[in-house]
Amino acid sequence: MAVTPTTLEDTVQLSAVPASVHRREVSASAAGSTTAARPGPAAAAGRLGTASRTDGPKEPGRGRARLRRFGLGLAGVVGVIALLELVVRTGLLPETWFPPPSQIFPAFAGLVADGELFGPVGQTLQGWVLGILAAAVVALPLGIAIGSVELAHRLTRFLLEFLRPIPPVALIPAAVLIFGSNLDMKVFLIAFGVFWPILLQTVYGIHDTDPTLRDTARSYGLPRHARLLRIVLPSALPYIATGLRIASAIGLILAITAELVVGTPGIGVSITDAQSAGDAQDVMYAWILAAGLLGFLLNGSLQAVERRILHWHTSFRGGNR
Amino acid sequence: MLVVRDLSKTYALGGEPAMAGLDFTVGEREFVCIVGSSGCGKTTMLRCLSGLIPASEGSIELEGRAVQGPPEDMAYVFQDYSRSLLPWLTVAGNVSFPLKYKGLSKAEAAAATEQALAAVGLADRGNSYPWQLSGGMQQRVAIARALAYQPRILLMDEPFASVDAQTRAELEDLLLDIWRRFDITILFVTHDIDEAVYLSQRVLVLHKPAHVFESIEVDLPAERDQMETKKLPRFGELRTRVLASLRAPDTASA
Repeated sequence: MAVTPTTLEDTVQLSAVPASVHRREVSASAAGSTTAARPGPAAAAGRLGTASRTDGPKEPGRGRARLRRFGLGLAGVVGVIALLELVVRTGLLPETWFPPPSQIFPAFAGLVADGELFGPVGQTLQGWVLGILAAAVVALPLGIAIGSVELAHRLTRFLLEFLRPIPPVALIPAAVLIFGSNLDMKVFLIAFGVFWPILLQTVYGIHDTDPTLRDTARSYGLPRHARLLRIVLPSALPYIATGLRIASAIGLILAITAELVVGTPGIGVSITDAQSAGDAQDVMYAWILAAGLLGFLLNGSLQAVERRILHWHTSFRGGNR
Repeated sequence: MLVVRDLSKTYALGGEPAMAGLDFTVGEREFVCIVGSSGCGKTTMLRCLSGLIPASEGSIELEGRAVQGPPEDMAYVFQDYSRSLLPWLTVAGNVSFPLKYKGLSKAEAAAATEQALAAVGLADRGNSYPWQLSGGMQQRVAIARALAYQPRILLMDEPFASVDAQTRAELEDLLLDIWRRFDITILFVTHDIDEAVYLSQRVLVLHKPAHVFESIEVDLPAERDQMETKKLPRFGELRTRVLASLRAPDTASA
């Protein structure tokens, strides 16, 4: 498997230019999940290995390996924090602009302690949730329709290719004109941005349902609605889940972009406020840290849900059973 | 009984036919194997027989009724078991999901599933997922699903082509056992001549575009055994005959 959804999403989150990256990621993710959803002979061979592991008694080494993996990951994080601290303390980076972690973390703890953190985080989260919901409510049924009707699929192919690359942030001025600098504007921006990955992944997923599965269902006389509900939708679910996870990352980027640029309340505004307060660089970084943690938690929860629902899929087999 | 009369299929208007004048009858409880070189139109034939696609000309009758869509008393076993089983359902779920649409109650479906899984030797694997099983066991699940559907006829498309030789022999004997115990007719497509002769009572040799070139009676003792049957001189004669028929120039349609 060349590209796993996880690494894809990481790329999205790391990127400084959300819109242009988003476009590439979507197509890449489609390719990635195609390979994931259609196991070739190599995947099949790997599967047998997984099978014996889940069937047999629990290996004693497995827990230890997991602990080791976690320990190494933690060591990496601690190492980088220590390095940052060192770089600032030795004056390699000017402390005026880069407060050391030993100041950022207390500042963050302060935000948590006096409850200042939760208002803006809640506002960012509100925009994120509403935007993704609004997009999904339209994109999912539309994607199912386009994916299952060949004519619609062909008719919309070029249209989608044309609309998708519009960077959502380019719509900010228009959105401000239409909605004003408020939550509606933020929700619109997020909804527009995440609409495409959800729609395209749904279309791909539905369209790529294995023909043998379709034939199997038809040969056993499943009526149309049953074929859609019991065969096509479950087999498209891994694609849709990837679409939602990409949407989650893009949604957060757009929420904070809207807050930074237009000043709708949320983490973004808190970052600019802390910046203009001047003497409190560590608070600004504490807010940036909050944004990062929020993204991390959102991604983690989505992955957990995915792992539960898609436990049968090649990318999760054996992990949770 | 399956009666196929003068069946033809042309995909593109004015194009080469994939099937032309296919004509044969499969009797009640008969085990018939169909062999043909690759690209001779076997897939087209199977898709038409199973009602997945309409033929351009001719008729198919199953138990006296014309086949226009997938018939209720036919079950299809695909070559690619890993793609025809639903990975999100358990083994039992895979076997039972079509039964609801055949009108069986939950209890009836559960009983049929249990019985079918027992018949293929997977009684204790109902709660596993297909991908936790070996290839041979996955194809057993597909066979169990077909059996639970309680068809009059079983259509099998090279079902053992992608398992190893040992598993293949086991599956062949399992199928013969099922055929003897259940009241079913089997139409089995394969490209393996040994398999065709070993399993069947009659081998139909297909030439391109799909039509029956020759029907060869397999007059071997009813009781088959992987070692003993294949040692018989008659077995060797029959496979030579099938091979010759496959390679024979086609005088009928040329």
